[in-house]
Amino acid sequence: MTGDAVAIEGVTKSFGSLRALDGVSLRVHPGEVYGLLGPNGSGKTTLIRMLVGLVLPETGSIEVLGTRMPDIGVLGRIGYMTQQAALYPDLSVEENVRFFGAVNDAEAGLEEALRFVELWDRRSSTVINLSGGMRQRLSLACAIVHKPALLLLDEPTVGVDPQLRLQLWERFRAMTNTGTSIVVSSHVMDEAERCDRLGLILFGKLLAEGSADELRRKAGTDSLEQAFLALSGTGR
Amino acid sequence: MKPARVRAVTRRVLQQFRHDRRTLALLFVVPLVVLGLLGYLLRGGGGGHTVVGVVNLDQGQLGGRIANALVASKRVDASRLSEADARQRLSDGRIAGYILLPTDLTAKATSGGAISPEVHLEGSQPGPSADVLQALNQALIAALAGAGPHLSPKIFYLHGGSGLDTLDYFGPAFVGLIVFFLVFVVTSVAFLRERSQGTLERLMASPLRRGEIVLGYMLGFGLVALVQGLLVLLFALYVLRIHNEGNVLLVFLIEALLAIGAVNLGIFLSMFARTEFQAVQFIPIAIVPQFLLSGVLFPIHQEPVPLQYLSNVLPLTYAVYGLRDVMLKGAGLGSAGLQLDLGVAVVFAAAMVVVASATLRRRIA
Repeated sequence: MTGDAVAIEGVTKSFGSLRALDGVSLRVHPGEVYGLLGPNGSGKTTLIRMLVGLVLPETGSIEVLGTRMPDIGVLGRIGYMTQQAALYPDLSVEENVRFFGAVNDAEAGLEEALRFVELWDRRSSTVINLSGGMRQRLSLACAIVHKPALLLLDEPTVGVDPQLRLQLWERFRAMTNTGTSIVVSSHVMDEAERCDRLGLILFGKLLAEGSADELRRKAGTDSLEQAFLALSGTGR
Repeated sequence: MKPARVRAVTRRVLQQFRHDRRTLALLFVVPLVVLGLLGYLLRGGGGGHTVVGVVNLDQGQLGGRIANALVASKRVDASRLSEADARQRLSDGRIAGYILLPTDLTAKATSGGAISPEVHLEGSQPGPSADVLQALNQALIAALAGAGPHLSPKIFYLHGGSGLDTLDYFGPAFVGLIVFFLVFVVTSVAFLRERSQGTLERLMASPLRRGEIVLGYMLGFGLVALVQGLLVLLFALYVLRIHNEGNVLLVFLIEALLAIGAVNLGIFLSMFARTEFQAVQFIPIAIVPQFLLSGVLFPIHQEPVPLQYLSNVLPLTYAVYGLRDVMLKGAGLGSAGLQLDLGVAVVFAAAMVVVASATLRRRIA
């Protein structure tokens, strides 16, 4: 038991000959935004899937909200926003949120979640008729309708225009202010700046950890991008 | 297992149907169109008349009058033939049957005895046989002018034959088959979509249990399937007027069990498909052999022996037996045959629920 929202200890996972995760250990403190930074295929999605028990580690242990995973009991306190906006395209906005609320044992919270992502006025629209950005926001609403203590966001702003990205990040920050912890994966550097702490992941290894400033200082570079390249060079 | 969560899945399935009116219409209209087509095909009577022969051997006048009435009949295309010719044509398949008026016809009629015209039918096709018998009946009424002697025609079938028509024989099996088939296709595609659009991953990352998903699906699709089954049944009974001697509720029960089995077979098989294209390809694998071997088209005892073993382990076989037993023979719950059929249907439905729940994996890897 730790007070941390997430405690990952020496986790390893292979898919065939591919080493997806190689001895990763990290902690996410309550109320912070932890960014998993790394290129596509570096193991970010696998790590996030492990946090909800969809993938089991070969070695090491994972604790989420004080519970050793996998454990179905804790899943109702986790919000999971997948990489693609996983929604029911033939249902309305409202029906989607209500459904994901109900499977997480939350009958209330529909209006709050939809107002939060500014889709309350579009609640009776069918998902097919929504723009990509709206779908992304709806997907977020579906992940937070049950007021999770831990929110997992797998590349939540892929294909999202800068303005909406800004909006979404305001939302994320608003949630941490009420005590929610957030783990977000990204390969966009300006997004990484917004995280409290970052973990650089490459080829399944956690190369460096710290705030954006700390990482820049450690690498001795001006930009986070350069820091990332420098740190990943040393990590090989 | 939380009822509220099962209800959420069921409600969502039904909402999807509400939004997808085309699929819903397909589910309710297609079976009626197919059954209607089948009915028309088997009972429509066809454009050409049934060709029959009349062999008049009667030494009196009555035979001539009946023969004339038959030739004049609009129901069949009758012509006078010699007995040898008629027999030859019947075995060649050129006529559907012939009516033989025996030498003592007038004599028996005048002496007040029963007259016995012989009806020789090809017999393998019920439609034409019915035409011949009806034409003879009308000819006799016309020739005897009502106040006739007692009538006892002798009917001979060349190839077995049956009192019921083809639709009465195929109808019960089709009622079950159509429900099974359509429910299977819709469920497997719906569940596959759940997988491909990523919502299943989301559900697996929620407290929703596998059994709750399967049960919710079963109730949602089951409800739609029951409405479909009811519609098909009413159409078969009251529009097509398929013969039914048994309890309608028993027919409905077998339909319902088939639908439950089909929903879960759909979930189960959708695990092995990655695209909707592949899911549709399960139709020839999972459905067509059952269709061919379940005794719908060919009686099982006429199949080659190795295939009979296969037929006897297919669940659909028992459903087809059951539906026919109830509708054609009026079997009730007391019948041992029907008990076996229902038992197999229950076991099949239950086994599919278990298999579908078991193959639903929470882990991606």
